[in-house]
Amino acid sequence: MSDVTVTASLRERIKRLIVESLHLDGTDPESIQDDAALFGEGLGLDSVDALELVVALEKEFGIKIKSNEMGRESFASVASLASFVEGRL
Amino acid sequence: MTERAEGPWRVAVSGVGAVSGLGWGSDALWTGLAAGRAAIGDFSRFDHAQHRTHVAAEVPEPDPVFAKTLKGRRLSLADRFALAATAEALAQAELPSLAGLAVGLYFGSSTGGMWEGEAFFADLLAGEPRLRASLLASQQPNGPGDAVARRFGIEGPVETVSSACASGALALGSALEAIRSGEVEIAVAGGADSLCQITYAGFNALRSVDERPCRPFRAGREGLSIGEGAAVLVLESERRAIARGIRPLAYLSGAGASCDAHHMTAPEPQGNGAAAAISAALRDAGVGPEAILFVNAHGTGTLLNDAAEWHAFERALGDRARAIPVTSTKGLVGHLLGSSGALEAVATVLCLAHGEVHPCSPGGEVDPDLGIDLVLDAPRRLAAFGPSDRAKAALSTSLAFGGANAALVFERAPR
Repeated sequence: MSDVTVTASLRERIKRLIVESLHLDGTDPESIQDDAALFGEGLGLDSVDALELVVALEKEFGIKIKSNEMGRESFASVASLASFVEGRL
Repeated sequence: MTERAEGPWRVAVSGVGAVSGLGWGSDALWTGLAAGRAAIGDFSRFDHAQHRTHVAAEVPEPDPVFAKTLKGRRLSLADRFALAATAEALAQAELPSLAGLAVGLYFGSSTGGMWEGEAFFADLLAGEPRLRASLLASQQPNGPGDAVARRFGIEGPVETVSSACASGALALGSALEAIRSGEVEIAVAGGADSLCQITYAGFNALRSVDERPCRPFRAGREGLSIGEGAAVLVLESERRAIARGIRPLAYLSGAGASCDAHHMTAPEPQGNGAAAAISAALRDAGVGPEAILFVNAHGTGTLLNDAAEWHAFERALGDRARAIPVTSTKGLVGHLLGSSGALEAVATVLCLAHGEVHPCSPGGEVDPDLGIDLVLDAPRRLAAFGPSDRAKAALSTSLAFGGANAALVFERAPR
C-alpha cells in the first residue's frame, strides 16, 4: 500500500473509533473533516472524551499513551492524531 | 446576602415538577394520584428474572415535548428525570433564567447514576472491549443535582444529601433554612433516583419487598415497592414571589429531623425518633397537631415501618392521631428511595392546592392494630380554606432505612 493509502485508511479507522468509542450517535464518521478541530469547537469534545479516546486508541492500536502526551497538538484533529499514532506503531 | 425571610413573610413554593411511574409532569402525577391509580407492575429497566420479586413503579417513555430538555451525552437516567422535573418547576415559577439571582440547589438521592455504573461493570466483567468510562462519571448520588446546576446555571451553594429515604425531605429542610437566613433568594430543591439492580436486590435480600404492589398500613402488608423518578420544588420568600406576581402553591413552613440511633435497617419500634422529628417540624412551623389537615406518611408498606410510624403519630399528634386522614403516595408510585421525600412533598403541595387528599393504593382492610384513618378508594375533600382556620397545614414524613427521620410541614395558600 502507498503511504497515502495507509494514511487515509488510518484516518478512517480513527474517525470510526471516535464515533464508536464516544457513542456519538447520529454522527457519520465520514462527515468528520481530517483537519477539523476535535476539542472545544468543531466536534466539541471535552476532557472526559479525551480520556475515553485514549483508552480506545491504546486498545485499538496496541500502543501506550502517557498523560503528558495528550497535548493539544497531537489531539487537535484527526490528521494530527493519525500522525501521532503512526509514529507509535 | 439577601434579606432574611421572616416576620409575616413565609417561604413559598412557587413551582413544582415531577417525573414518576404515573408519567412525566406534575399533571400526570396528580391525575394518577387523584384517581388512586397504582403505577406498580411489571418493568423492563433491567432483566429481573433472577430477582426475588418482579414488580416496580417504572417511569414510562417520555413525551416528545421533553426531547430538548433531555438531550445531552453522559447524562444518567436519574439526571434526565431531574432535568425534566426542574424545567417544569422553573417554568411554573416563571423563572426562564436564573442569571444574576442568588440561587442554591438542595437535592436528595440514593442512586444517582447507579444503574449506569452497573452497566459499566457488567460490560467489564463480560470482557467487553469497548468500555464507556464516562458511565462512571455520573454514577454518584450528586450526579442529578450537579447536572441540574450546570444546565440551569445555578451558581450558589449546591448540595446533595444522601441519607437514604430521608434525603429529599432533609434537602428541603436545608433549602428552607437557606431562604430564611437570606443565604439564597431562590432554592431549587428536590431529588432524583432510577431503578437499578443494587437497590432492587438489596431490599429483596432483606425480604422487605412485596411480591405484589405494596399495601401501606393494610393488614397482611408484606413490604415495599420500589419506584423511580424525580421531583423538584422552587422555593423563595413569599414577599419575593408576590412582588413578581407569582401566587404561591403552598408554603413550606417547618422542617424537623432526628435519628433513631437504633439499628442498621429496622426502625425503632415505638417510633420515638420519628415522633421527635414530627414534633420538631411542628415547632419550627409554629403550629400544633390541631393545625394538621392530613398526613402524607412515609408509609412504605413494610410490617415494621407502618407500625412504628403509627406509634410516632400517636406520640407526636396525641388525640388528633386517630382523627387526621393519612395517605401514602408510595402506594401509587412506589418508594423512590432518596428522592421519595421530594416526590411526596410535591404530592402534599398538590393535595393542598387541589383541596383534596389523594387515596392510597386500592383495596384491603386497614391493619386493626393501627388506629389510622387511611384515605382509601376516593380522594378526601378538605374543608374550604378560610384565612382564620386553625387547620391549615399538612405533614409529610420520611423515615429512613438506617434511622434518619425527617418531617416537613406545608401550609395551604389561598387559590
